[in-house]
Amino acid sequence: MWRVARLLRCWSVALAGLAVVSTASAVDLALPNRTGTVKFVVLGDFGSGEPAEYQVAAQMAAFRTRFPFDFVITTGDNIIGGQDDPADFAEKFQRPFETLLQAGIQFYATLGNHDKAANRSYGPWNMNGRRYYAFAVKNVRFFALDSNRPDRAELAWLDDALARANGDWKICYFHHPLYSDGVKHGPALELRVLLEPILMRHGVDVVFSGHDHVYERLVPQGGISYFVTGAGGQEAHSLRRSAATAASFDREQTFTAVEVDGAELRFQTVSRSGDTVDAGMIRKRGQTSPGGAR
Amino acid sequence: MTPHGRTPHAVGGHRARERARATVTILLDSFLLLPIGILVALIWANTAGVSYFRVAHALRFIVNDVGMAFFVGLVTEEAFEAVRPGGALHPWRRTLVPLVAATGSVLGATAVYVVYLRNRSEFMLLDGWPVAAAQDVTLAYFIAKAIFLDRRGPIAFLILMAIVSNAIGIVSIAIWHPANPETLPLAVALMAAAILLAGILRAARVDRIWVYLTTSGALSWIACYWSGIQPALAFVPLVPLLPHRPRRVGLSAEAQRATPRRLEHIFKYTVQVVLLFYGLVNGGVVIAGEMPGAWAVLLAALVGRPAGILVSIALAVAVGLHLPTRLHWRELIVVSLAASAGFTFALFFAAAVVPAGPLLNELKLGALSTVVSAVLAFTAARLLHVGRFAGHRLPAGHSVSA
Repeated sequence: MWRVARLLRCWSVALAGLAVVSTASAVDLALPNRTGTVKFVVLGDFGSGEPAEYQVAAQMAAFRTRFPFDFVITTGDNIIGGQDDPADFAEKFQRPFETLLQAGIQFYATLGNHDKAANRSYGPWNMNGRRYYAFAVKNVRFFALDSNRPDRAELAWLDDALARANGDWKICYFHHPLYSDGVKHGPALELRVLLEPILMRHGVDVVFSGHDHVYERLVPQGGISYFVTGAGGQEAHSLRRSAATAASFDREQTFTAVEVDGAELRFQTVSRSGDTVDAGMIRKRGQTSPGGAR
Repeated sequence: MTPHGRTPHAVGGHRARERARATVTILLDSFLLLPIGILVALIWANTAGVSYFRVAHALRFIVNDVGMAFFVGLVTEEAFEAVRPGGALHPWRRTLVPLVAATGSVLGATAVYVVYLRNRSEFMLLDGWPVAAAQDVTLAYFIAKAIFLDRRGPIAFLILMAIVSNAIGIVSIAIWHPANPETLPLAVALMAAAILLAGILRAARVDRIWVYLTTSGALSWIACYWSGIQPALAFVPLVPLLPHRPRRVGLSAEAQRATPRRLEHIFKYTVQVVLLFYGLVNGGVVIAGEMPGAWAVLLAALVGRPAGILVSIALAVAVGLHLPTRLHWRELIVVSLAASAGFTFALFFAAAVVPAGPLLNELKLGALSTVVSAVLAFTAARLLHVGRFAGHRLPAGHSVSA
């Protein structure tokens, strides 16, 4: 009986997602969408199985028809609540993102506080049993970190991995934000003291985090552009803007599309309803002229 | 000029020095340095968090991994001497009910901790369960002493239970840390050498603690550090081999001083200074937003632990074990609440099982919050007319009129 109820629920949220698709074509593309660039989406705190997640996923799938991104990086809390049963993963990940998964889109995940440690072995998230890992796509190096348990071994690994990534874009992503004006959680100060010196020492360009269910782009701190991208599908939180806030949005869920072309990184954040809530360009550190909003 | 030939200025300076000395003695004897360190850390972390964590991280290694080895060694010595002939835990039949209560305490607290976090889907915090099981021996002693005054039965019961609970926690932590496979063989060899060396020194009747600590203690510390086990546990396997004199829990202060234990005798005040810095380095918790880990630790301590203690004692009595003489159920309720304070040991366990970061911040807040157990214990004592409040209980048939 509960399986029937679950199935009916999934169909209802999927139908709700379909309603979103029709609005996707109305989204203005603020990215150059050139050939041969690195295109990906950043998504965080999404695995609720609720209608909002299905709608965000549908919006991403529709957006991809205009901006063919190749992979997704996640900032944790990939699945919330029950996650012992394969049906949970089906309901909270495979079905919402079915269109993208069937198109061969890869997900490169990090784990949040609501994820189980064992989820790093879940195949579609490409963690391969690792708490932290790195991968490269053309001239962009990504460093997925475990901000739940940042032990000495992880920090030493990060220091070494970043040192060997000279010349490339360095993008780090993990769950707990070093800078955030989210009301519910805010910045992880101790984590900032641990990580920021390493990030700055090696010239990291961009950091994406989640945990606070908001979107926020912060004024560059120490030359690093920080984003809070934790509004992927769970209930939205609120945000209190500060002097460090360059752009923010907390009214509904969002995802952020990114295109890296040479020394320029352009981003566009789209809401669940299909509105562009932020867009801009960041120039590679060491290049002339800092980036800014549109 | 005074009759002794001193100027008023010299007399004033002498009195100031005496007052300072008396103040320091009170701070040391009353174990107040740890709470002072924690208070300073809390204020600092919540007003200038980045600067606090920079200093805390700079001191963390020397305080947590080196200094705390002396504190853990001292506590281990307490437990070891209790089980030796003449100790309060010897023979084993005397300790059955406190042992059962300690086991119930750990199980009850852990159960509440796990259930609460699973309900909140906070799965990453599940690993921190040893924090919920920790009991602050010193704070529990002071609470019990303040309630039960000179009644040794409840105090001894509480101390024994706390020692066993923490021993369970320490063993769990030692097992918890995954060994570093590459260095494990060498670490095991080093630990074996450390224990062997301590045995040789003991057989040779070497009576100086410093010889043990600087030789086998150093080897044991390196072994723990290389293998990934919390280095503060380095002296634990060596304590049984150190020169000892038996101690009985529940003795008056004068009698205890007449039979000093070696580690306590040498390091009593050193450990207090270590605890000051320990409170400073680990007590800085940023209080912001939802902190489910803190609530989990607090609920485990205030609800799970007392429930676990009382249920386990009830089961023990049901199968035929006997409560310590003259220990009433009302007193056991108060004892179980006094045992809820995790505080120092909970802080230590938290830092041992979770690395610095957002999760540790939550667990530490929970550990510090368990100090409210003092209020609960006092309230229960008053309501149940236990200890210092026993004299307020009216005879049967009497009542207070308006």
